[in-house]
Amino acid sequence: MAPTLPSSDQASDQDNWDNGRLARKRQLLIEIVLRNRLTALVVDGDTTCRVLEQLLLRSYGVQTQGVDNGRDAVALIASGVKFDLIIIDMILPVLNGLEATRQIRDMGVHCKMLGVTICSGESERQAFLAAGVDVFIEKPLDPEHLVPILRELDGQ
Amino acid sequence: MESKHVNQQIAAMRQSFFDEEVLDEFFSQLEQLEDQNNPNFVEEVFTMYFRDSTTLLETVEQAMKTISITLAKMDKILHQLKGSSASVGANKVLNEINKTRQVLEKGNLEGTKAGIWEMRKKYGSLKAKLEPYFQLKQANSVPQEK
Repeated sequence: MAPTLPSSDQASDQDNWDNGRLARKRQLLIEIVLRNRLTALVVDGDTTCRVLEQLLLRSYGVQTQGVDNGRDAVALIASGVKFDLIIIDMILPVLNGLEATRQIRDMGVHCKMLGVTICSGESERQAFLAAGVDVFIEKPLDPEHLVPILRELDGQ
Repeated sequence: MESKHVNQQIAAMRQSFFDEEVLDEFFSQLEQLEDQNNPNFVEEVFTMYFRDSTTLLETVEQAMKTISITLAKMDKILHQLKGSSASVGANKVLNEINKTRQVLEKGNLEGTKAGIWEMRKKYGSLKAKLEPYFQLKQANSVPQEK
């Protein structure tokens, strides 16, 4: 969910907010150095979202693959390809994200799975966690959520 | 000197997008992913976003002219637009989508249609603001020496 801007003294607060958050994000984008070569699968039916998530991951040196539907994600995992991280949307064409997640977990895949979705309700969150994602993140995926996860996967 | 003036113009245009809340911090995040190897990255992302969003909007607008349009169909498209709009930092478009989805969740078909038209206006406004901005940036970019 896009953060809301402070309402009082809007011009100066907005500058401070934007400059502060921008500086922090710039720091996040350049600070992390991964020791290991991590791999990630991005499953998102929307081209813009999928491309951006892959690019964000690549900016941290993560090798990524992207698929645009749940069925192809399951097929890729079933073929034996392994990933350190799977980022998956809830609403997907062909096979939805909940079912795709269940099928991936049923295959015995234990890698970190992030449910990154525009759905923000508590029932959606619980459903996605129950299906097997480890973390539920409301779109868009941002460094503040991603960097700690990458560090954890990197053993930092 | 002329380039400095154009740079100031570009910076002022960019600042106006934040001042007017047309864009939010996720636009800034995109800018940080832009580098020497990919200097037009943000423009390319928005080209993709505008292409796909225009198609979705045309689909829903055509469907709204028929009697078979349902809330479920509109929700599916709004859902897609919400994700991509949030990802590129299209703040006003996103706000309008959120308002429209609230109306849709109450089962108000006509209200949802009105919301979509309003969102369409915000989207058109965003495109009208960003396209000249990117054109100016590209025209002012220094060619890379080989």
